[in-house]
Amino acid sequence: MQDFETLLKGSAEAHGHLCPGQVVGVRMAMLGCRLIGLNDPSSHDQIKKLIVYVEMDRCTADAVAHVSGVKLGRRSLKFLDYGIMAATFVNLETDSAVRVLSTEDARDLAPLYAPEIAGKYQQQLIAYKLMPDSVLFKVQKVQVAISEFDLPGPTRRKVSCQRCGQMVRDSREVVIDNHVLCKPCAKGAYYTNAREITWLNMNWSPVSDFRAKQPPNMPADSEEPSASNHLGQPGTKSHREKLQ
Amino acid sequence: MIKTIPLEDAIGSKLAHDVTEIRPGEFKGPAFRKGHTVCNEDVCHLQRLGKNHLYLIDLEEDEIHENEAAAIQAKALAGNGIIWEDNPKEGKINLYAEKDGLFVVNTTALAAFNMVEEVMCATLHTNTLVKKEELVAATRAIPLIMKRAPIERAAALARQNGAALSVQQLRHVKVGLVITGNEIYNNLIEDRFAPVLTEKVNALGSKVCALKFVPDDAEMISQAIRSHLENGCDLILLTGGMSVDPDDVTRQGIRRAGAYELHYGASALPGAMFLVAYLGDVPLLGVPGCGLHHQITILDLVLPRILSGEKIGKKELAFLGHGGLCRDCPECIYPNCPFGKGS
Repeated sequence: MQDFETLLKGSAEAHGHLCPGQVVGVRMAMLGCRLIGLNDPSSHDQIKKLIVYVEMDRCTADAVAHVSGVKLGRRSLKFLDYGIMAATFVNLETDSAVRVLSTEDARDLAPLYAPEIAGKYQQQLIAYKLMPDSVLFKVQKVQVAISEFDLPGPTRRKVSCQRCGQMVRDSREVVIDNHVLCKPCAKGAYYTNAREITWLNMNWSPVSDFRAKQPPNMPADSEEPSASNHLGQPGTKSHREKLQ
Repeated sequence: MIKTIPLEDAIGSKLAHDVTEIRPGEFKGPAFRKGHTVCNEDVCHLQRLGKNHLYLIDLEEDEIHENEAAAIQAKALAGNGIIWEDNPKEGKINLYAEKDGLFVVNTTALAAFNMVEEVMCATLHTNTLVKKEELVAATRAIPLIMKRAPIERAAALARQNGAALSVQQLRHVKVGLVITGNEIYNNLIEDRFAPVLTEKVNALGSKVCALKFVPDDAEMISQAIRSHLENGCDLILLTGGMSVDPDDVTRQGIRRAGAYELHYGASALPGAMFLVAYLGDVPLLGVPGCGLHHQITILDLVLPRILSGEKIGKKELAFLGHGGLCRDCPECIYPNCPFGKGS
């Protein structure tokens, strides 16, 4: 694993800014990985052994992901929307797991660790670097039962929703009255009033199809859709900008 | 796990903790010690102490008793120069100075330690001069039984950057005095600074080994400093010329002597015009005129710390501000007052 300052610099660049949450996240991941025996989690031989559950979608989560190398799309990063400044680090090879919690005490003690620094933000930034792990964190040894459908690797199962036809992967379907449904159809979704639309330049693609007779980077179909509900009509610039 | 049983059913049981008795103005202490086997004769005594039920304790594997916790805490808190006995009374362990010296608290570590809900430690103020065997701190666990993990975390917090509590023995050094001022040098007035400073130095176990009177002349002040250094002085105190008058050239003299670090001005009253400089490892302390008129000044706050080996710089002088205002009481009761206790 790289040293703390290098990890923090990289984390801040990836996240977009340096903040106290980055310091906490970098240290949280360094501690968590160390405690489960993965001293270089991003390395080729360790990257498939680690799963991290983050319990908040704050700056700290990005830092944890950066240091530990876990990624949502690789299924090594799991997000639990608990609103808790904590992350659990699981070693898939040994089954050992620790939950590292950021303490509220650390916030109260920051003025004592960096009394010469004015401003709460800067003070926390420095203090969180100076504090020992025992001030910054509490650690719990935990057991995490991971379903095979949550593990990295190829899709284990695919079924179609019997209401909307959408393909549902990895056993996320819901069975109600013997009907296999996707979660939005079964339980409602975070969105409402879903209706299909058309949009401007519908046939654009980033790479030209050599079989097409069209000049490169020109839409094969330049005609505007005629449907009244499409987005991107002349005069609706803002919509077009959003969707292009 | 704790089980509560009526007193009448407790005959033959061992007490789970010390039972405290308070007779106002007469006695406060354990009437019964942990482990005492309750017998018939004890029942009335316990009832007089308001005990109609007693605890029976069956510790889980990850639990500890308050006495064991207190010992873990005391061991972690006690650093160099601190002694304690593993014999908790009413769950509490006292910590004592092993020797004369300056009692120093890592206040940050102490605060972090005390943030753990299951523990407490109360101490004298940091940088308090203490005598051998003087009580400096006490610690105990709050619950009767608790999980071991938070106690061990508290112990780790107490040990950050060394132990939280220590007594630093004061160095016995050779002190050189430089008394500046044309009025004294030319015998227009009698110097009163040298006896005052000598008494303070002696009280801390050091000796004034060299004394020079010089006029308000930067070069002569510089020469006096160098002379003291050549004579082996480990610490130099300078008086006079520390204010803002055109004749106040002591600072120039200190610079001319080659001081590589100079901090002028401190957040304490009396003592705002105090100066700390260093020539190699030798500290130079510029004592302003208040040292003549006030029994206790910033010098009394800084000198013991210098003799304990602490490097005093800008930060240390600035942090004196909180609690750095002397109340100028008609009868001085320092050190039993707030002066200098805030940092």
